[in-house]
Amino acid sequence: MLTEKTLEKIQQIQKNYHSKKSAVMGALMAVQRDSGNNLTREDMEAVAEILEVNPVEVQAVAGFYTMYNWKKPVGRHHIEICWNLSCSLMGAEHLISHMEKKLGITLGETTADGMFTLSTAECLGSCGTAPMMQVGDDYYENLTVEKVDKILADLRASS
Amino acid sequence: MANVKINGKEVEVEAGTLILDAARDLGHDIPTFCYQADLMGIGSCRMCLIEIEGQKKLQPSCITPVMDGMSILTDSPTVVSARSSMLEFLLTDHALDCPVCDKGGECELQDMVFKHGPRTGRHAEPKHTHHEKDYALSPVIIKNSNRCVQCTKCVRVCKEIVGVGVLGSIGRGIHQEETSFQKTFLDCDHCGNCIEVCPVGCFMRRPYRYTSRSWDLTSADSICTYCATGCRIVIEERDGTLVRSRAQLGVGLNSETLCARGRFGYDIVNKEERLTTPMVKKYGKLEPATWEEAFSAVERGLKGCAPERIGGLISARMTNEEIFLFSKLFKGSLGSSNVDSSMRWTPEAVEGFAAATSMPEGGASLFDVMASDTVLVVGTQLSDENPVVDYIVRRITNANGVRVAIASSRAMKLDSSASITLRHAPAAEGSLLGATALILADSGADKLAGNSDVQAGLGTIKGIGVDSLATSAGLNRKEIEELVSRLGSSESVGIIAGTEFLRFPEGSANLALFTEVLRGVGKTVTVVPVLDRCNQRGAWEMGAHPNLGTAYSSTDTKGLGFAGMMDAASAGQMDALYIAGENPVIDYGEGNFARDAVDKARFVIVQDTFMTETAAMADVVLPGVTFAEKDGTYTNQEGRVQSINRLLKGPGSAKSDLEIISTIHNIISGTEETPAQKAAGVFGDIRAEVTSYASVDLSFNNKKNTFNDLDNKGSLVGSASASIAVATVAGSAAATIAGEGPAGFTLVTGNHLYHSGRLTLRSEILDGFVKGAIVELSSEDADRLGLSTGDTVTVAGSRYTADLTLKVRKGSVNGMAFIAENFNDVLVHKFFKHGESVASVKIARS
Amino acid sequence: MEKILLKNIDKPEAYKLDNYVTNGGYVAVQKALKMEPDQIIQTVKDSNLRGRGGAGFPAGLKWSFIPKDPTIQKYLCCNADEGEPGTFKDRAIMDKDPHLLLEGMMITCYAIGASVGYVYIRGEFEYGAAKLEDAITEAYEKGYLGSNIFGSDFSLDLYVHRGAGAYICGEETALLESLEGGRGQPRKKPPFPALAGLYAKPTVINNVETLGCIPAIIEKGPEWFAAIGPEKSPGTRICGVSGHVKKPGLYELPMGVPLRELIYDHCGGMRGSKPIKAVIPGGVSAPMLIEADLDTPMDFDSMAAKGTMLGSSAVMVMEEGTCMVKVAYITSRFFSHESCGKCTPCREGTSWQTKVLHRMEHGEGRPGDVELLESLCDNIFGRTFCPLGDGAVMALRGALKHFREEFVYHVEHKKCMVGSDDE
Ligand SMILES: Cc1cc2nc3c(=O)[nH]c(=O)nc-3n(C[C@H](O)[C@H](O)[C@H](O)COP(=O)(O)O)c2cc1C
Ligand code: SF4
Ligand code: FES
Repeated sequence: MLTEKTLEKIQQIQKNYHSKKSAVMGALMAVQRDSGNNLTREDMEAVAEILEVNPVEVQAVAGFYTMYNWKKPVGRHHIEICWNLSCSLMGAEHLISHMEKKLGITLGETTADGMFTLSTAECLGSCGTAPMMQVGDDYYENLTVEKVDKILADLRASS
Repeated sequence: MANVKINGKEVEVEAGTLILDAARDLGHDIPTFCYQADLMGIGSCRMCLIEIEGQKKLQPSCITPVMDGMSILTDSPTVVSARSSMLEFLLTDHALDCPVCDKGGECELQDMVFKHGPRTGRHAEPKHTHHEKDYALSPVIIKNSNRCVQCTKCVRVCKEIVGVGVLGSIGRGIHQEETSFQKTFLDCDHCGNCIEVCPVGCFMRRPYRYTSRSWDLTSADSICTYCATGCRIVIEERDGTLVRSRAQLGVGLNSETLCARGRFGYDIVNKEERLTTPMVKKYGKLEPATWEEAFSAVERGLKGCAPERIGGLISARMTNEEIFLFSKLFKGSLGSSNVDSSMRWTPEAVEGFAAATSMPEGGASLFDVMASDTVLVVGTQLSDENPVVDYIVRRITNANGVRVAIASSRAMKLDSSASITLRHAPAAEGSLLGATALILADSGADKLAGNSDVQAGLGTIKGIGVDSLATSAGLNRKEIEELVSRLGSSESVGIIAGTEFLRFPEGSANLALFTEVLRGVGKTVTVVPVLDRCNQRGAWEMGAHPNLGTAYSSTDTKGLGFAGMMDAASAGQMDALYIAGENPVIDYGEGNFARDAVDKARFVIVQDTFMTETAAMADVVLPGVTFAEKDGTYTNQEGRVQSINRLLKGPGSAKSDLEIISTIHNIISGTEETPAQKAAGVFGDIRAEVTSYASVDLSFNNKKNTFNDLDNKGSLVGSASASIAVATVAGSAAATIAGEGPAGFTLVTGNHLYHSGRLTLRSEILDGFVKGAIVELSSEDADRLGLSTGDTVTVAGSRYTADLTLKVRKGSVNGMAFIAENFNDVLVHKFFKHGESVASVKIARS
Repeated sequence: MEKILLKNIDKPEAYKLDNYVTNGGYVAVQKALKMEPDQIIQTVKDSNLRGRGGAGFPAGLKWSFIPKDPTIQKYLCCNADEGEPGTFKDRAIMDKDPHLLLEGMMITCYAIGASVGYVYIRGEFEYGAAKLEDAITEAYEKGYLGSNIFGSDFSLDLYVHRGAGAYICGEETALLESLEGGRGQPRKKPPFPALAGLYAKPTVINNVETLGCIPAIIEKGPEWFAAIGPEKSPGTRICGVSGHVKKPGLYELPMGVPLRELIYDHCGGMRGSKPIKAVIPGGVSAPMLIEADLDTPMDFDSMAAKGTMLGSSAVMVMEEGTCMVKVAYITSRFFSHESCGKCTPCREGTSWQTKVLHRMEHGEGRPGDVELLESLCDNIFGRTFCPLGDGAVMALRGALKHFREEFVYHVEHKKCMVGSDDE
């Protein structure tokens, strides 16, 4: 079930466009935020119903873009570390293996306590401050092993 | 026009022609996967790349139009290498499990690799696989995405042609998979067009799975018998079992498309319970008999009956040849005009409808209708009743920007393609068209002044007035004015008019008037009727009508229509009934009326393929055959005459219907001739006797026609010398008799998407799609009663009460309940008095 | 040199409308609203401004394709998808100086007769999107957006549309498809967006940086702009430098500054002592250059003459010791990950390429792999539906052209020829 707030947000988004279907992306994102950063089958059905499109069109959108988490759920903090060229040149791979060890998971996995999911991302547009990663909405740049450790600790503490 | 050079040869082609078409026209083979004439071009598979001299990059010929002065190479070394490299790419992630793939032997990828592909594979990496095991998407679709070439024709046909859009591309890049929402069972029309368009073994038919290799099949060209669209099919058998029915790209007006009935309703042919031997009643019980015994029983039963006490009903699913002989048998040898081909409609309704839809003027092509500026669909829930006409309308509307207006009480899938939808009260087609005609006539008064027919017609409704006509149609004047202004700004108008005019014959007069007014004010009008039995039009044109001879000619004596025969039988005034292919005991309204009537007839012959309720009461039962087991022709609703070909031998000693009727004809007329075995000979007689059929072209090009020219006008019947007077049933007021109180509804009936008539109910595949009988209400009505889809409701009429599952149809008119005629568990006819088309019912939660 | 695009970037709270106005903003749009739309298009044509999104198409010319019929709805879409690896310039404008973009969009919309504009911003830019939305709200409050902006009879609505993670949506027709709520797969052209774009209506698509140049051009005149940098590619350019330099970051410089000057004068040279091995001058789709090419001026035509592209002027600098097989693998992996799946050669070809490179990089190369890669490049290049597939080939061909022996070494010795830092 979508919350009032999300419904309102979707209504708002719809107003931006000439066609309801244009609001699918925004609606999915709004719903995902509302459901702990994940999209369920019911979420997609709800969006389809509101925007009067077939559910498969909603899933087609969800399945095309990488930011929708519908395949398998992600943890509370979704760490996406950039492994494109600029970040790789600056040592992204070290950081990835460091985090894998530290969190005890491999890429694509979620820690047993559901706290962290570790994924890679293609260039996030922060190449001048490489290496970098995104956790949720936030960018963390010019990373080092020490910085990463601190970020993970802070995130853990904050939740 | 554009002058281009293709492989060195100069040609002039129409500007805007696709390079692909121009090249294929010259006989150059360009392979394609994603291209399909009926779908929007996407240019994605890159198989069709060609070289344009002077351009650095190869271009996709399927989306690139010719330009004046272009020099095109379709076989240059670069083009050839590009083709082979595309195939190499497509094979990298292709499952290559050809030995176990259903598509093996008829796979476009196989054929293309054989012809254009690399002979060796260089891809030695793990393949991307979408899933482990094949998975089912519906009772008829099974899927193996690991064979997919991502042409997305399945997704596009589902959305662009069928208008359902339940398939999508999920995932990106090599992960892209064409499938359903969450890979769950599809909630769709089960038409299987996705299977048909799939070039590889990605979408497969479940019922056919592992039954045969394609090269072990024997096939015949045929026509689908489940409505009057006249879709071309190919039926295929293996070891005497019909295993597949399919359509072919560019062949027939349907091209590659079919509806669920056409693609999956073939299994009735294989049923165990088919009639295999004649039966004759002995001591009150039907017993198997020889043909000689059966025929002599027929002879005994018919000989000596007074002509006016004999009646014949022949199904509009019989061929022209059979119906022609049947009518001759009655009107000639037996001297009786009591012949009919529909038990649902009165003879007068048929005359009115035939006149209003210009049938005596000869065949009219649906494609000509669709070439009009505006197309009006009226009197039919087209999407369910004639699904392939719905596809054609949708496709041409999308592609050519035709404007479509839909007038119907029931909402339908096609509404989304319409620019105007008029939701009128049930049975109010006549009022709606009357009001439209009046406003139109006002605006063109000067042009119509001298037109006495039109003036007379207008005279009868002028008194009622636009507003009151509109009101009785449940519409407001503005809605009708909108339609008028749309029509007014069109030079040509196409009309697709359906069987509601037969059910509610009051409408035909105004349909005729409306058409005349349009013509009178200078519009070109093309009308195509929409019918639900494959040979209904042919049946009428072969004279299976009590008041009309062949091709609508008038006859001196008028006979009884089927209702009249039933009344007579009921009154003990029928000595013999010959019923071929119909089952009135179940299908004729009002409780046990038909059963009693048939019971009272002294002698009853039933010719059928199954032991029906009516056959069980007969004195003689004659086993006929299905479309797959005989030759002949059908005339579709447009007036296209098309042949079916025999593929199988009938079961047991069943005989072709033609031979049975012909034998009886010979017996009655006392000739010693051998009965007709081949339809072709009889068709010769038809040509000789029925002038409108004299020159129809039966030749049929079974080759994939590259131009996608689906309109073979040569097969249309010519104009009949006779003409019938415009509808005899005048008047206009709608037969709206909405039930009383808030739970009162007007009950109307019609065909179901998966069923036309009751034959389809014998198809296990089709029956598998429907879960119990359904009653439809508008969403507002359902809300008002606090009901929603899936609820069980009690529908109570004055004669009959039944429990059904509710289906809410958004957009349908309020106050109307709809139950399809084709359920096994609820006999909707029981709600009606015979001869009645609307009933009032009350609906409440069970 | 006077900055056009990054002039406010270091000023405190430059993103606020009031500060933007204090810094001289929203003057140009008022001037523009007093001009005839055609006059603006001519001005932009005269300025010779070329698109900053990658292809360098003249902006004024693009605008002039829009039909003049006032009854037809028209749209402007700002391409803020910024997905080309190495690129981070547009983000800076949106984060720090969103009103510059809005002002550019206002003028453009007025010039082409669009009453609605969208900023298509990549989904990951949460911060930038919020900044833009705040800026739009501020502008509405001031009457700078909405009906009769700045008291003129021109009305305009601007919206932010957020992507959700797909590089291909930077391609203009894929962007439109995405804006319409679909999968971002490119559309066939023709029809070109100028005739049938968003919702099948005439549409202009311009990059953030392109639009960011407009206010200055209007304010200071086309001659002023055209006089900056080379005649055929005038104006300034934001170069985003990443990789092994001392001071990576954004540098707004006149077009035509040589790579060497950018790296050694502005970025402080290389981070260690190692010499430059390769430089990608315009995002990963642009074939790499080597030390010997460093004097090439950073403008569209000079880069094209060197067989590469200025692209998004995302400069990625690699020092000696960087493994080129690995670089090729990373870029190939990127393209295969981002391939939209529409066309056969890109979908299947980039994936195959990546599998081969992955093997090579992990010591499992096989004889013939290098030739296979070259052949795959030939089979993909020029045959894909959109330029993404070409980009994948250009990146790989660039590496193979200069460093083929490294690839061969990887196959023969199952390991790297250079001791990369990471190994
Ligand atoms: C695969 C691909 C990705 C692209 N990504 C971007 C992008 O992220 N941002 C951008 O402005 N242009 C991008 N472009 C270029 C756009 O298609 C288009 O040319 C540009 O937005 C036009 O704006 P301009 O004329 O102002 O440069 C991309 C092109 C391709 C083929
Ligand atoms: S080249 Fe083809 S598959 Fe690749 S992104 Fe473009 S259209 Fe999609
Ligand atoms: S047939 Fe032309 S690209 Fe597929």
